[in-house]
Amino acid sequence: MPDFTAHIVQHLALAFAALALALAAGLPLGLLAAESPALRSAVLATAGVGRTLPSLAVLMLLLPFLGVGVTPAIVALALLAIPPIVIGVDLGIRGVPVAALDAAAGMGMTRVQRFARVVVPFALPVSFAGLRTATTETIASATLATFIGAGGLGDEIVRGLQTDDPSLLFAGAAAVAALALGADAILGFAGRYAGGRA
Amino acid sequence: MSERAISRGGALALLAAAPLVAGCAFDPNAIRVGSKNFTESFVIAEIYAQALEGAGMHVQRLFNLGSTQIAIAAMERGNVDLYPEYTGTALIDVLHLPPIGNSREAYDVVSKQFAQRYRIVWLTPSPMNDSQALATTRAAAARYGIATISECARAAPQLRLATIQEFLARPDGLPGLQRFYGGFHFQEVRTYDIALKYRALLEGKADVASAFSTDGAIATDDLVLLRDDRHFWSAYNVAPIVRAATLAKRPHVARVLNAVSPKITDAAARAMNAAVEKDQADPADVAAEFLRR
Repeated sequence: MPDFTAHIVQHLALAFAALALALAAGLPLGLLAAESPALRSAVLATAGVGRTLPSLAVLMLLLPFLGVGVTPAIVALALLAIPPIVIGVDLGIRGVPVAALDAAAGMGMTRVQRFARVVVPFALPVSFAGLRTATTETIASATLATFIGAGGLGDEIVRGLQTDDPSLLFAGAAAVAALALGADAILGFAGRYAGGRA
Repeated sequence: MSERAISRGGALALLAAAPLVAGCAFDPNAIRVGSKNFTESFVIAEIYAQALEGAGMHVQRLFNLGSTQIAIAAMERGNVDLYPEYTGTALIDVLHLPPIGNSREAYDVVSKQFAQRYRIVWLTPSPMNDSQALATTRAAAARYGIATISECARAAPQLRLATIQEFLARPDGLPGLQRFYGGFHFQEVRTYDIALKYRALLEGKADVASAFSTDGAIATDDLVLLRDDRHFWSAYNVAPIVRAATLAKRPHVARVLNAVSPKITDAAARAMNAAVEKDQADPADVAAEFLRR
């Protein structure tokens, strides 16, 4: 079992590294889309197309540029995680009630204060839903990292396939599903907590 | 050769189905040439078929037989007259005997057993030996001073292996190498899709990759194979195997094929595999080109 545990750790490390990268890129893009109507359609259209690309295709399309290994796997997974984050942030910010923003301005809040005290608390729950989607999708897609030598639970599934061992295949698949569901449940709980405070 | 059956079968299934359908009209005088479902088997079966046609015989192609078991069953039932088979596959997967590293010995055992058990004759084998192997780049071989499997076993703690999951699990894969040669505790082992493991070598992300010795990439990417100095792996020479009943009726089949087999070398097989898999050439064209030389 040490192999299996190591693969779980690898799997989560891949997924979380990709999510961190996706957040770093997705948050500013979402803000940009929400603040600039001119850019919104372009950003959202790109994100929409990005969401429809099959994970395996993204992995293979990046091959000529990034090669094989852990880094390209993380980049590919991040690219897949960016669209739901961008869409969530944009929806969240545009959903902030105009009346609340007007009231904050009337109270003499600066732009930064309004963002921190009004926009963020209002936008958080919807944006969080985007992050939740991105997280489950990334954990599920990280299974494909095995094809380019980046390890993870995909190694277990492929070994099950290549050695005709259905129990190994099932154990790997069940572990991926459990991780995705577990992360979703944790984020759901965290989201309610954050939403409750707002 | 089961990995090949899985990874290479699909792409060529359609290609091979065409002649199968076209050749369905039953011709009692045709020689029925079979092949298994991977590139090398298609190409070598085409070589046999075209050599026989060149000698004026009428050939029916029954390509893309799904596995060794299916191919042997088709021979026994008389549905196929001949097809290319590997000595190692026959030894291990059909006769369930232990591997034999020496090509001559492996051939002697399988040809004797097949004659007795299946009434199938092994014609002259080719020098081509599509065995398992470890491949490396010329640069890595020089840097780590590895030319043989023994040297690789000792240098393993400094080396990174690129392979596929099956190689880590099979008794004739890494576990067997560790038992037989000792050592072989690699610094790092990473698994890839079978088509991508050589890429890891070329990108410098691995030093050694598991291989089949006639993989086209060995020629196109200028890789070197480590010598199996203590003969861990079985010999896998290819030969036409023919029903004894067919040969009794048409002894000239043996003469035609025995003239071709010596020309099928490792280098020739690699070049033909690369032409089909890398350059998407038709196996029939590749075989025709080979016979013209």
